[in-house]
Amino acid sequence: MSARAALLLLAALLLAAPAALAQPGATPSLSAELSTRRIEVSTAFTGGEILVFGATDRLIGGAGDEIVVLATGPRTSLVVRQKIEVLGFWINGPSARFNGIPSYWALASTRPVELMFAPLARSELRLGLDLLPLPQIGDPGPQFRRALRELKQRQGLWVDQLRPIEVSGGRLFHARLPVPSTVATGTYRVEVMLVRDGRVVARQDLALDVERVGSAARIADVAQGLPVLYALACILLAAFAGWLGSVLFRRG
Amino acid sequence: MQVYLPIAEMSVDALLLLGIGFGVGWLSGLFGVGGGFLLTPLLILIGIPSAVAVGSGANQTLGASVSGLMAQWRRGNVDLRMGVVLLIGGFIGSAAGVQLFAWLRRAGQVDLAVAIFYVVVLGTVGALMVRESVGAILRRNKARPARLHEHLWIHGLPFKMRFRKSRLYISVIPPLLIGVAIGVLSAVMGVGGGFMLVPAMIYLLGMPTSVVIGTSLFQVVFVTANVTFLQAVQVGSVDIVLTLLLLAGGVVGAQFGAQMGTRLRGEETRALLGALVLAVAGALLWDLLSVPGQLFVIGPAP
Repeated sequence: MSARAALLLLAALLLAAPAALAQPGATPSLSAELSTRRIEVSTAFTGGEILVFGATDRLIGGAGDEIVVLATGPRTSLVVRQKIEVLGFWINGPSARFNGIPSYWALASTRPVELMFAPLARSELRLGLDLLPLPQIGDPGPQFRRALRELKQRQGLWVDQLRPIEVSGGRLFHARLPVPSTVATGTYRVEVMLVRDGRVVARQDLALDVERVGSAARIADVAQGLPVLYALACILLAAFAGWLGSVLFRRG
Repeated sequence: MQVYLPIAEMSVDALLLLGIGFGVGWLSGLFGVGGGFLLTPLLILIGIPSAVAVGSGANQTLGASVSGLMAQWRRGNVDLRMGVVLLIGGFIGSAAGVQLFAWLRRAGQVDLAVAIFYVVVLGTVGALMVRESVGAILRRNKARPARLHEHLWIHGLPFKMRFRKSRLYISVIPPLLIGVAIGVLSAVMGVGGGFMLVPAMIYLLGMPTSVVIGTSLFQVVFVTANVTFLQAVQVGSVDIVLTLLLLAGGVVGAQFGAQMGTRLRGEETRALLGALVLAVAGALLWDLLSVPGQLFVIGPAP
């Protein structure tokens, strides 16, 4: 195809798109995208954000459509321990284990989801940190689940509607989900939902990868894959650095 | 300037790490000890996971002790035979210590165990040091008859061996046991153990002070190398980026500290070091006894 033909096709598509969007009664359309499909964790990584943006055919906000964005990270297992006082010392006491919980979880919406959905619909969709299933093994006390939610939120790894989704021009939206530096590597799933009258009428699934890159990746890979080699390298590097430093900075 | 630590999986201010390295290096140059006993608690204080603080602390102590060992070796101040006996004990002890550490980690009690080891060991050593050095300062003007070394009952145990450089003919059991004990502490606390080994060599083995520093550095270098190896392989908790940043600050600090150390008298230095050791023990004890701000902690599932 020649460049001119491609341009013509593009122009035709651009002209046709608003017409298709405006058609009443058609499946509600939602198009969303991520600003990046990859978050790179390098030795200079101090955290980042997942930027989700998109557009709808009808006006967002007011009595119109609403948008919900839910991001979940790779599953992980954690242990929550309660500190108890034994003979005046505070030690780790009873514990509960949580298997298969999301290492990262972030929810953002144009309006608080509690106002958007009826309680039953919201719990079916599991929209809300209070509705996140947290299967618990070990001590059955409810305080562990509460502590887990609180601590993960404090670490910035579970984000429950901290910032609303911003809307510009009535149809364009964007959400920024903060990602702290302690984030786990792996594949993240981002669900974008279009909500009308308390029901999800369209949804789009996006994915992004959080990967270690550069020397941080190589170090972590070698440490995990070739621990013996890594251990020897640590010994030699530390010994060499110590010797080199004393030569360079010898005083007197 | 933030830097991401690949094993600790968190980002920390690089200048803070360089500063801690410098401060600990300065004190270790001043007092002639490795400084691991200050480093590991400081790392835990700034939020590095205990396991990574211990593993990388041992690795840093190795680097910080290498140049000292080479200098002492050139001056002929290392009793190789004594060093090897201590080291055999040290390898056994550090291997057992790393097993103990891995078991404690599974049981979720690493933080507590590390803190208790620190409080007990530093409290005891600090108190002994302060008592001994204050006594020495008070007695300074009274001359005492000099003896080569005290003969203790433990020297009379079987398997006697001649240590020519130390001018000793004693049983190998006490140095072996000392080596084992220091090895265990090294693995659990991430220290070299010089601050415990030096008094043990002087007071328990009766070694002449001229060879004590060199021989203890010999033991420290190889035991911390062993701890680094085992921690990296078994626990996976040695962060080389953390180690190198600490070392970069540490080697510079050590030179300044050593220069200043020459202007201080021996007893005053030991009293100050003892007070510092006691202060660290006190701070950790306070942490254990005070009501924690967070009654729950989360950790990775074993």
